Amino acid sequence: MSSPFSINGGACVAMVGKDCVAIACDLRLGLQALTVSNNFPKIFQYGDNVFLGLTGLATDVATVSDLFRYKVNMYRLREERHIAPTTFANLVSSSLYERRFGPYFVSPVVAGLEAKTGKPFICGFDSIGCIDFAKDFIVSGTATEQLFGMCESLWEPDLGPDELFETISQALLNAVDRDALSGWGAHVYIIEKDKVTKRLLKGRQD
Amino acid sequence: MAAMFSQNPLMNGPNYSFNDAPKVNAPEGARQHRFDPYTDNGGSTLAIAGADFTIMAGDTRHTSGYSINSRYYPKVFKIGGTTADQHDANLVLSVVGFAADGEALKERLDAICKMYRYRHGKPMSVKACAQRLSTILYQKRFFPYYVYAILGGLDEEGKGAVYSYDPVGSYEREQCRAGGAAASLIMPFLDNQVNFKNQYVPGSGEGHALQERERKPLSRNEVEVLVKDAFDGAVERHIEVGDGLQMMVITKDGIEEILLPLKKD
Repeated sequence: MSSPFSINGGACVAMVGKDCVAIACDLRLGLQALTVSNNFPKIFQYGDNVFLGLTGLATDVATVSDLFRYKVNMYRLREERHIAPTTFANLVSSSLYERRFGPYFVSPVVAGLEAKTGKPFICGFDSIGCIDFAKDFIVSGTATEQLFGMCESLWEPDLGPDELFETISQALLNAVDRDALSGWGAHVYIIEKDKVTKRLLKGRQD
Repeated sequence: MAAMFSQNPLMNGPNYSFNDAPKVNAPEGARQHRFDPYTDNGGSTLAIAGADFTIMAGDTRHTSGYSINSRYYPKVFKIGGTTADQHDANLVLSVVGFAADGEALKERLDAICKMYRYRHGKPMSVKACAQRLSTILYQKRFFPYYVYAILGGLDEEGKGAVYSYDPVGSYEREQCRAGGAAASLIMPFLDNQVNFKNQYVPGSGEGHALQERERKPLSRNEVEVLVKDAFDGAVERHIEVGDGLQMMVITKDGIEEILLPLKKD
């Protein structure tokens, strides 16, 4: 309970579909059992189709998300192009490993589409940057067990954008309803070749 | 992942039995004695009540720590028949947690149900057996049976009944319940697929004014598929679950036992 990863609570999930990816998070910020805010999104955008979900210690979520905004901005100025999801994933990995012996207490999730090919890309990390490449879905946060159960039973290959939205939403909503530290609404992003749809889900408010 | 901070073997790792646990802070020359009577034998159980049937299920893997002791060790039992083969039983008990305690609890409840039959000349109702099971568990309040029990049967009206318990006898009648190692993986799936949680009628309103999808009892076939899907998901992500899936289907015609294979890795 006093693990830095579960003080503030929160959940995040990413899924691959047919020519699209989805990433979703809950909105709760808490201090142990006390909910402090119900508007604390955990997904951040770093380009047209590069998204990062961060769960874990809220102070590190804020710090790390800002750190990557800085790093991605510097990359764009230097390279005069947007960062690719795979490049960004490696940036996340190496940045986290830099803090090998005093890590940020976050469990990041990257989701995006390769700009040229439009190929879906998702991956997850541990707090020191070990990358988990997945072909199906990535989960993180205090509701990981519940999310694994939901995703493992709801997800199937080649879901279209609308089906993917329904799948990821149901997976997240039902998972966080069985986790006391997550919930209070959700943000869902559906990322397609030249369209990103962001939806706000109300969910249970308790 | 939180995993790197939960590697303390005493807290989350393989579970130790008796005195082979690592010694902590033992002063020089002093010997620490302890008796650790519990082991977690893993596994998972699941029960769903239908309109006129109940399905109780459990995997058949028996583990301690990272070892698999057996690939067929049932944790779902018929209870209260007149004979050893339980051919005329009307109740099913599933136990998950510490297998030895589960076995002991099953034997005790079965004996009690049998005595009830002889004394009253009729089988025990689920409701009565449920209350009795709670009493048995609470009697060992300060040295509990380390098990999560689920009792299933048909109620007085012939409807499916599922009663779930904590290790010290707190209980509740429910439509469905998952227990054991993969309970947290299976339970949200059940909320969604059995009780239709977070499902709404399309276009019926906005925000919390939405109309919930009507709850209708599932057919036996649908439930069997659901149980298999739930366990296939759990097997994929939990190392203590696998090998075989044992299902007991309780109907007015008796109890049918089904054995299905699960992944053995």
